[in-house]
Formats: sequence, structure tokens, C-alpha cells
Amino acid sequence: MKKNVYVYLLLLPGLIILLLFLAAPLFSTVFRTFQGNEGLTLAKYIAFFKDSYNRGVYIRTLKLALLTTLIAVILGFPTSYYISRLSRRARGLYIIFAVFPLLTSPVVRSFSWMVILGKNGILNSILLKLNLIEEPLRLLYNEFSIVIGLVYLFLPLMIMSLVGVMENIDEDLIEAAESLGATRREVFIRVIFPLSIPGLIVGSVLVFTGSITAYTTPQLLGGSNTTVLATLIYQNAMSLFDWDTASVVATIMILTTVFVTFLINKLSSRLNA
Amino acid sequence: MALLSLKNISVAYGKNVVLKNLNLDVEKGELVSLLGPSGCGKTTTLRLIGGFVEAKNGRFVFNGKDYTKIPVHKRNFGFVFQNYALFPHLTVFDNVAFGLKQRNIPKNEIKKRVMEILETVGLKDYADRSPRELSGGQKQRVALARALVIQPDLLLLDEPLSNLDAKLRVKMRLEIRKIQQEYNITAIYVTHDQEECFSISDRVAVMNNGVIEQLDTPQKIYNLPRTEFVANFVGFENFIELELEAKERGGGGFYKLKNGQRFKVTHFNGREYERYVKGAIRPEEIDILNEGGGKETNTLKGIIGISTFLGKHYQYVVETEVGRLLVNGSAHKRYEKGERVTLYFPEDKIVLV
Amino acid sequence: MFALLVYLFLIIPLIIITGAAFGTDEYLRFPPQGFSLKWLANIFEVEMFVRTFKISLEIAVLGTVLALLVGIPAAYGLSRYDFVGKNFLQGFFLSPVLVPGIVFGFSLLNFLIIKYEMPVYTSLLIGHTVIIMPYIIRVISSSLENFDYSIEEAAISLGASKVKTFFVIVLPNITSGVIAAFILAFINSFNNVPVSIFLTGPGISTLPIQMMSYVEYYFDPTIAALSVVLMVMTIILMFIIEKTLGLSYFAK
Repeated sequence: MKKNVYVYLLLLPGLIILLLFLAAPLFSTVFRTFQGNEGLTLAKYIAFFKDSYNRGVYIRTLKLALLTTLIAVILGFPTSYYISRLSRRARGLYIIFAVFPLLTSPVVRSFSWMVILGKNGILNSILLKLNLIEEPLRLLYNEFSIVIGLVYLFLPLMIMSLVGVMENIDEDLIEAAESLGATRREVFIRVIFPLSIPGLIVGSVLVFTGSITAYTTPQLLGGSNTTVLATLIYQNAMSLFDWDTASVVATIMILTTVFVTFLINKLSSRLNA
Repeated sequence: MALLSLKNISVAYGKNVVLKNLNLDVEKGELVSLLGPSGCGKTTTLRLIGGFVEAKNGRFVFNGKDYTKIPVHKRNFGFVFQNYALFPHLTVFDNVAFGLKQRNIPKNEIKKRVMEILETVGLKDYADRSPRELSGGQKQRVALARALVIQPDLLLLDEPLSNLDAKLRVKMRLEIRKIQQEYNITAIYVTHDQEECFSISDRVAVMNNGVIEQLDTPQKIYNLPRTEFVANFVGFENFIELELEAKERGGGGFYKLKNGQRFKVTHFNGREYERYVKGAIRPEEIDILNEGGGKETNTLKGIIGISTFLGKHYQYVVETEVGRLLVNGSAHKRYEKGERVTLYFPEDKIVLV
Repeated sequence: MFALLVYLFLIIPLIIITGAAFGTDEYLRFPPQGFSLKWLANIFEVEMFVRTFKISLEIAVLGTVLALLVGIPAAYGLSRYDFVGKNFLQGFFLSPVLVPGIVFGFSLLNFLIIKYEMPVYTSLLIGHTVIIMPYIIRVISSSLENFDYSIEEAAISLGASKVKTFFVIVLPNITSGVIAAFILAFINSFNNVPVSIFLTGPGISTLPIQMMSYVEYYFDPTIAALSVVLMVMTIILMFIIEKTLGLSYFAK
């Protein structure tokens, strides 16, 4: 590589765009939340968290994100392990079927669950036909449907992160462990799992932060009493025209994602030490 | 009775047959090498013994018990992999201790045995290192220690030195041999490197196309190959078609060449007499004489073709009535292209294959 | 077995939606009754779908082209040269992917439309250009990583200028990377909701936003039919990605 002043010229257009249209707007949003009548203040944050409704929204968002991440790990881990041990060709096929939903519009993906979980949806009609229930269950517009929607949205991401790491675990390591007397279960616990942790971390960060910030799914699959941070921003900005509160929620969202990413990374470096 | 026997083992991946009715007996305390070009089935044989490959047909008997269906983790065989296969998330100590922990051995006993074996392989001070921090040679020692510490009933080594540089290879193979003999451990060693194989083994099995062509001591393999493949593999570059004329007592006999010339062959590797055979001879065993020199038998007339200087000697391509032959000649005298010579084939240097 | 069930979970909803798109019922159900293409045809009856589809397409193409124009030189600079602050700048160029879309969209509304009174359409285009940038930079950088710069040096030694070398030597060698970057960026722009949702105005909206508001009021299979159209589009684009970048890129 060479040293060259002209390189900055290559980067300049991009830098200008990002500074003007990413950094400046974000800064302006964050800045106004600390602006008071006289200098900087945390008053808006205090007011926000004093409101039990807001606290509820915040806690719900974290809870749903945590639940989503856990389910994605539980479903994704064994699946990814299975995929990572397949032949190159079969693995490619599985990857295609994971990437396809990932590239499909989130509106379409959330909508498909409205079709399944709705009052006259498929699940209810099946259950009714089997005489397992008398009346249609209320499956939609609650926390349950949001979690299902989020898991559906982010599971491919978890699978891709894990497969990426697991397919690099050398088959020889597994055979070495077996030749030293480890059963399949022990191989999994003592070799596969520890070596998959980096993928697990990446996947979890992606799914968790994705769930905290997701808008489409909670908007379509959630109801009026399942507001989360993302829908709260939208409500405050577009229905209540309360720009200050919307900015506060936005800032809280940024801080939370940064903090969670930092925490999980910290945790992983301790695990690796 | 042999400690280990493979009986009529066949292995196939789909239609691709890798091993065909393979038989192999290994005695206790022996180091047997499987030697051959890539794709000959040597690694498959080793992995079958290790339990990583399933046989389509045949039985694997070990120590009088049928091991054919015993899972890998119950075999108690140490396996040393070509690329070491050290657990990257564990220290050297924990790598070596892995198998012992699996056997529920008390902690202080584990510590004692791990440190002992690390001392044997000269890595006592490296116990707390991560495999990443080790050189190739050190990694291989850890892999060896890890396989040995479980006191395996059999040690399997899959081209363990092929990722090391030439000098280190020589050093490590001596060490492996020393440790193997010290522990009196039965071992099977896969390699494609002849010199390595000959220097380390009690017996060598030369494999080709999924069968063992010859199982013998290194000396016999080198001097008295029994098949054309083995002969070619160990450096017999010239093959001359022969037809039996008269047997001699104690082996050997008189043979006729295609051009009517007669060869006497005394060297005999214990094959049955066959009417049509091939005589194999190394380039360095053929003598170049001036035209018309030598006796009636065991000579051929030829014309010098391309010559190459190889340092210790010249190597000539010589055109003869029975085909092109490779012959080494002294570095002091160089025959010119087109020169007519007589080649002499010493009767005890020709091997019938 | 478990993996298969998980994959059924991933695939079945998309199959159901496809099935529902071709039913004859006024209402969404599965298995559908009968077979008809009327819902597919109905997409074109809803004027807003047609209009927003065009807008989404325009924004995605324009945004991607803009991001490519800015992103290719940046990616080239970042992978070819060593300079002060390289790591920081690399992070900065990828940072839009870390900012929650909903926060970014809201901030753009606040800053561009309210504060500086920029037109909605321009703001929407700018927003999409920014969120697309990291995809461009990442894909182009990774294909530049495989590019042997000694080829470039050879061209310069033969008398080509630096700029000419870039266009004649470097660019043709990373075409597949550029195509893949284009497609990925296009998909991400086309499917975006959280940024677009704040940047709509009279007569200006994107298809996903329009679909979301349609679903709030109607529950007929038109949306399912539209979903099928979008999925077919995704399949075609995925095919192109597979041919250029390889889908295993996503497992990294």
C-alpha cells in the first residue's frame, strides 16, 4: 500500500454526504434532547422515565428483544450446526433458503404471519376444524405475535452468522476429540460450542439490536397496547407531533443498542480470555 | 496371532471403490507404514482403523475382538492428524488433558501424566501457551503428546510431518520412532515420502488403487520389489520384457529379450516362475561400455540420446532395440549425443516383476 | 430433522402467502378456494400501488447509482492506500448500517424537511443513498481485496495514467462486485420501511409504506399477490447475486 494525499480526494464526496446527511441530522436529534431553557439538562429524560407508560414501553422492548434472541439461538444453533456439517452443495441449498427470506421485504414477511395468525387465519381454522378450540384464539396484535414475527425476521441472520463460524470448524477437530474418547454430546459441549461462540455473539448482537429497533413487525403484528420504542417514536412524531419526546426515545434507542453491543462484546472477550 | 488384522476390507464412496478386499496383519509393538501415491487408499485404510470410515465388507479384528462396529470414542486409539487438529480454544495443557478428562481421571493424576508426556516431547515449559503461539514442529509434538497420553492401544499417524520443513521432518521422525519404541506402542504410519517411510518403519505396505501391492521390510521393498508398480515407485525406471528360456536352481534363470538377446538373472524375489515377465533395473545399475565391449549375454547395443547433468552423474536416454532406457553414467566422462555404446546389465541387479 | 422443521418455519409462511394470492375468495384464506389471477390483476387497479412502485424503483435505482458514484472511489481509496485515520474512516463509512433506521428517518425528517425545508422527494433519495452506502463499500472492498494490484502497476508502467488505469484495468476486474453491490443496495433500498416512513408527503410514498397502510384498512389477497410479485423479483435478484458474488457471502 502507498501513502497518497489524493486518497482523501477519493473519500471526500462520501465523507461530505455522510457528514451532512447522517452525522448532522443525528447530532441535531440527540442535541435537542439535552437542550433546556437554560443550558444543557437531563430534564426531558427524567420526565420520560417518570411516565410509567414510557417505562413500560422500554421494558417491553427489551423483553421482546431478549425473548426473540433466545428463541433465535435455540432454533438457530442446532440448525446451523447441522448445515455446517453438510456437503458444500447441500449447504449452499440451505443457505439459499435462509438468504431468500432475508432479502424479502419485511412487510411481506410480517404480513404472512397476519394471514396465519389472524382471527380467521389458517392456524385458527385448523384448530377449529380439529375441534381443539370452540372459538378462534386471539393470536394477533399482542406480544406473542410480535415475538413470532421478530424471530421469523431475524432467524436467518442468526443462522448465517453461526454457519459462517461453524463451517470453519475443522472436521479433524471433531475426529480428534472422538479419538480421545469423547461422545457426540461431549464433542458438542467441549469443542463445537466453545468454538462457535464468536458466531453466537455476532448473531445475538444482530438479532437483539435488530429487535430493539424493528419498526415494521411490531407495527403490523402488534396492537395498541404493545407499543415498543420504534412505534413510540413514530407515534410521538407523526401522531402527537411531540418532537422532543420522539427525539428522547430515538436517543435512548441509540444508547441502548450501543450499550448492548458493547456489553456483549465485553462478555465475549472475557469468555475468550 | 497378530494384534490387528484387516480381513477382506472393502470401502466405497458411492460407486467409487477406495479399498478392495484389503488384508493386513500388524504385530504388537510394530510400526507399519502405509506408503503410496495420493488416492491409493492409504489414508482411508488408516481412517477405517481409527473408526472414521465404515467398511462396506470385511472385518477389523483387534486384540482378538471384533472392532468393525465399535464407535471411535470407545476404541482407545491415538490419532495424529496431518494438520495437527489442536483445539484452538484450549491451552497446550488442556489439549493434552482432553482425553484424560474424558476418562474421569482424578485431577492431580491428570496433571502428573500431562506434564510427564510434555516433558517427553520437550514442551514442559509450554503448557500454558495457546496452540496459536506454537511453531509447526511444536504443534506436532503437542498432537503426539495428546495422542500418547491416553496410553492408546494403537497409535495412528496420518502424514504427521508433511506440513513441516525438510530438516525438521528428519528430526521429528527420529523422535517419533524413539518414543514409539520406548513406549513399545504399536503404530500405523501413513506417508507418501519414501525416505521418511523407510527410515521409520519395521514394515512397509506399498499401496496402489486400493490394494496392498507389497508388505515387507523397507530393505526388501527397496531392493526386491515384487510388482511393477512397487518397482517403479522405489526408483526402478527401466522395464524390459523377458521370456523364460531356462530355469536355474535356487531361483533365477535365462531369459530371452524381444530382439533375441539373452539375459541371465540370478536375483530372485521369490515369485513363481512365469513365462513372460519384466526385468526391472535402476538407471544407476546399468553400466555403459564402449561399443562392442562386455560379454555376449546381459548386454544391449544403444545410441546415446539426450543427456542431463545431475551433479553426481550424467543421466542418458539411450535408444536400444528394446526401447528407450534411462542410464546413469560417471560424471567424469560424458558420452556425446549419437555415440554408439553397449549397455551391460549385471545379472544380480535385475529384478523380475 | 430439527433443522428441517426450522426451515419449514422459514418457508411455509411464504408458501401460504403465495397460495393465498391465487384464491378466488374475497378474504384471505388457505388453502385457497379455486384458482384465479384476479388479485394479481387487482394490483394494477390500485393506483397507489402502481405509483409507489414507480417511486420505489426510481429511488432505489437513483440512490444506488449515487451511492456507487460516491462509494466506489471511497472503497478503492480505503482498500488501496494506507493513510492517517484509515481505520476510523473505514468505520465511519460503514456506520449507517449501525444507526437504527427509525432514528435516522426521524432525524432526516427533523433536519432536512422541517429545519431546512428540503423537498420530500429529495430527502427520501438522500436517506436511501446514505443507508445504501455501507453495502456498496463492503461489497466493493471485498472484491478489491481479491484484485491483484500488481496488474494495475503493470498498466501504469506501460504508460497509462492513474485515472485511465482505474477505468480500464481496475473497474473491469471488479464488475461482478459492482453488480452484486448494485443488487444488494437496490434490495435494501426497495424494501426499506423505517427510513421511508418519515419521508413521505403528498403524492410521495414508497411501495412498502403503501402496502403497510393498505393492510391496515383492507384484508384482501391483493397484498398477497403483490408479495408474490416482490418475491419473484427477489428470486431474480438473488440469482444475479449468486452468479456474481456467491450467496455464501452472507455467511461472513
